[in-house]
Amino acid sequence: MINKKKFDYTLAVLLIIIIITGIIAIYTASTSKIGENISVKDYWWRQLIFTFILAGVLFLLFKLPMPIFDVLVVPLYILNLIFLFLVLFTPAINGAHRWFNIFGFSYQPSESAKLLTILLTARILSKEHLSELRQLIYGFLCVLAPVMMIMIEPDFGTTLVFWISLFAMFAAAGIPAFYLLLIVSPLISIIASFHWMFIVLWIFIFVLVLLWFRLSWVTVTVSTILNIFLAIIMPVFWGGMKEYQQNRILTFLDPTRDPLGAGYQIIQAKIAVGSGGTIGKGWLEGTQKNMNFLPEHHTDFIFSIVGEEFGFIGSAILLILFFLLFWRITLAIREIRVRERKIVASGIFGYLMFQTFINIGMNIGLVPTTGIPLPFISYGGSNLLINGLAIGVILKYLNERGFIK
Amino acid sequence: MDRLNFIHYFRILLGLLFVILLIALFYLQVMQGSYYKQIAESNFVRLRRIIATRGEIYDHKYRSIVENVPSQNLYLITGRIRNFKALSDFLTAEFNVGGEELHQIIEKTRFRSYEDVIIAENVPYETVLTLSEKLNYYPELFFRSETTRNYIFPNHFTGYVGRINEDEYQKYKDEDYTINSQIGKTGLEKFYEVLVKGRDGREIVQVDSRGRNLNLFRNDSTIEPENGLSLVLTLDNDIQTYAESIFPTGMRGAIVVMDIKSGGVLAYVSKPSFDPNVFMSKISAEDWQTMNDDVSKPMLDRVIHAAYPPGSVFKPVTAGLGLEKSVINQYTLLANCVGGLQIGNRFFKCWSSAGHGRSNVIDAIKVSCDVFFYDLSMKLKLEEYKQFVNQCMLGQRTGLDLPNERMGFFPDTEWYHKTFGKRISILGHKVNLAIGQGEVLCTPVQICAFYSAIANNGVWIQPHFLDKTVGKNSFSGQFINPVKHIKLPINSQNLQIIQQGLFSVCNVPGGTANSVRVKGATTFGKTGSAENVRGRTTHAWFSGYIVSDTPEITVTVFLENAGHGGGVAAPLATKIMNYYMGNYQSIKAPVQVPLQFLEQDMSTLEQMPNQNANILPTADIPAEAESHD
Repeated sequence: MINKKKFDYTLAVLLIIIIITGIIAIYTASTSKIGENISVKDYWWRQLIFTFILAGVLFLLFKLPMPIFDVLVVPLYILNLIFLFLVLFTPAINGAHRWFNIFGFSYQPSESAKLLTILLTARILSKEHLSELRQLIYGFLCVLAPVMMIMIEPDFGTTLVFWISLFAMFAAAGIPAFYLLLIVSPLISIIASFHWMFIVLWIFIFVLVLLWFRLSWVTVTVSTILNIFLAIIMPVFWGGMKEYQQNRILTFLDPTRDPLGAGYQIIQAKIAVGSGGTIGKGWLEGTQKNMNFLPEHHTDFIFSIVGEEFGFIGSAILLILFFLLFWRITLAIREIRVRERKIVASGIFGYLMFQTFINIGMNIGLVPTTGIPLPFISYGGSNLLINGLAIGVILKYLNERGFIK
Repeated sequence: MDRLNFIHYFRILLGLLFVILLIALFYLQVMQGSYYKQIAESNFVRLRRIIATRGEIYDHKYRSIVENVPSQNLYLITGRIRNFKALSDFLTAEFNVGGEELHQIIEKTRFRSYEDVIIAENVPYETVLTLSEKLNYYPELFFRSETTRNYIFPNHFTGYVGRINEDEYQKYKDEDYTINSQIGKTGLEKFYEVLVKGRDGREIVQVDSRGRNLNLFRNDSTIEPENGLSLVLTLDNDIQTYAESIFPTGMRGAIVVMDIKSGGVLAYVSKPSFDPNVFMSKISAEDWQTMNDDVSKPMLDRVIHAAYPPGSVFKPVTAGLGLEKSVINQYTLLANCVGGLQIGNRFFKCWSSAGHGRSNVIDAIKVSCDVFFYDLSMKLKLEEYKQFVNQCMLGQRTGLDLPNERMGFFPDTEWYHKTFGKRISILGHKVNLAIGQGEVLCTPVQICAFYSAIANNGVWIQPHFLDKTVGKNSFSGQFINPVKHIKLPINSQNLQIIQQGLFSVCNVPGGTANSVRVKGATTFGKTGSAENVRGRTTHAWFSGYIVSDTPEITVTVFLENAGHGGGVAAPLATKIMNYYMGNYQSIKAPVQVPLQFLEQDMSTLEQMPNQNANILPTADIPAEAESHD
């Protein structure tokens, strides 16, 4: 039941405002203006329909008794794993097996997997009397199952989302930060291995931090040696790679190396955002958009349209809206008293925030193209539903907290 | 530290990311805004397609049949249109592309408006020069130098290319076609589209209006276009031109010349012909209408797209079946020809009212006695007959490498029952089929291939145009489109009897084509004068071949409503055979491979991926049944 006193209206209103902004952005992104001719594709009202569907689903979610909600998590997670497996046998679209097409609407099982994996992982992390090491291992296993299948699709960008939310959940589960540092350290060592100065600097900081955590000398020594070894072996490994493999990695890190592919899109998005200037070119007036330099800009590159037509002011307002939404979620995390739910809310916070900032970063050329859409703004039914449901879960937790001991 | 500590970390991270993005946006939009605005306004940065050069088509001596010639095309970038009215007026005045048409073009391209759309093709160079000044006022228009096709002579086999239409675009857009692409519409251009098209390249344009490199990308990684493969045909331009030149003016018909040993087509004439070059610039609606309405149907390829009653050229098939089923042998004499034969209550006439008396199979072929074949047919079963005809690759597509070949037709009992009812007597129809009349229909190329098979000791070879490709890769025609070899269902003894019959047609007094003599070779052949519903005058047929030391060529001549085969068609064949033997040295002379094709690595032939099974699209086969003339 919706408890009016405890319902977080601010969070809900923020969500609604952001979704409406998204529909407006989709309208202009799927509009083409040539001379006086204006033609609009129907994406915006489809998104509107999805919004109403989301509203209905959220209403049902709030009505759903908490015990039933809790029971559903495990079977749904397993069902989702089955879908993730089956989707691998669908015909490839743009070289990837990611979508089921049902009645003209496409369903992407990796989207629902994000939320369900968070729910399941939180459940397992909050089992009683688990050592920190076990929490780490179980958490990894929960995430590994969907991630492996998503890697096969292939959809590398989406798998990153899983890892980030896992880390957020570890943090919420109270796993000490040095564990996380130890886990991430090999990755940083690999990245640092491009220059010896970075290696030295990194190892130095690494050791200092570990000492600050007062870890045993054995742990510090072993992990340091391991990291140094990794950093030294990397150039050898790199040299052993074929040139095209090297190129693929370099292009991922620096898309401007590939002007005919990913680099082209990033540069065009950057030109679009940049040319918006302070106040933007105005409603429907985006020249980059109207010239169609970016294909399908109502999905991953929708932020470039916002930047182009509404300028810095518009982009900043959208950023602030997102900031407020996430800030509100941190408040919610603090207010939720049940450990499992706290972990869930943290995972949702991690996954939505990561997607938001990675997508905007991609649109202004800060990070590589990963194919991650902008939550609530990019066109896409399953995307909107799952992201909306995620916020809905937090709202429900806040709402139900009175019923818990 | 209390347990809520992690929330602070979350908030710090959130704040940090927020500030980073805000600063980045501020830098990009406020500080560098005018720089990017300038780039955006002038579209300095875009992806441009470099069109691959289409492969050319040569005869077997590398003489051009289809070549590329430079052309100037006018393009429009709809996204740059500012003043629609002015543009529309300008285009109407200069290129007759009116407002309505322009609206359609814009409508079609509205969601891919950075792609250039072609407005006018093959603009004369003088026009380009005079307009260049005016184009400064229309930044949305520009000329681009490209190539267009030039077809050296009017013909029906090369086909022609045209701009891709909406249906084709929807079908092939994943295969590197754009809304401006040229695509083969008919003939070889269509059949070998995959080979001749090539692969378009890509380049990034990142220079500003003063030609300075904007350096937005680390490198200009241009993808070079991969030019299409050129086709070398088995065709011989000299024989083709000669066959064209001797074709009687004003007549309708076809000539096919085939090399017996290889199955390669040496000449392919269908008259009246049309010039494929008319399709290279925008064809006016009236011209198109005239071409289509012309009663003589110049667009119709009479070699494969039309099937006709074969008349007496079909008789060797009937003879073959009779011999194979041992209904007759070399010496069997059949019914007495008294200018016809009474069967039941009907008198079936022989072409010669004087009659031929009783004859054996060789004489019957020689004088083309209808009565012999009437009588023979009564001893044959229709189902066996049909099966035999199909095994002779008649009433079947030969698989010539051109699109939409017709099947021809040979009926069976079921067909008769369906068409005329169950009570019909098939006997009378069968009698007609025996002399190539009635319901049987053949295309000239089927007849030609069948006679080649007789000459080739019973081995039927699939007729084909493609000898090999040259260019980036050299594939043999055999690799691209395997040439079928099929054994005719006639044993060599019986084949010799038929050959003897064909020999006497041309070389024994009294033969229906006794004038067909060629210096340096022995002639074989059969005439035909097929009655038809089109007119009172018969279709004239002649199909024959010459043998020197080895079998040389088969010539099939078909003339619509022209008279008797011996009188009209055979002389044309004789001329071509004489031309062939007269120029034997030069036709058979070793071919000088032009330098540009010599440099290529011939070893590519061996290391090609095994994809010949699906390298070509299956020909579009019209679904409707073959109709009758």
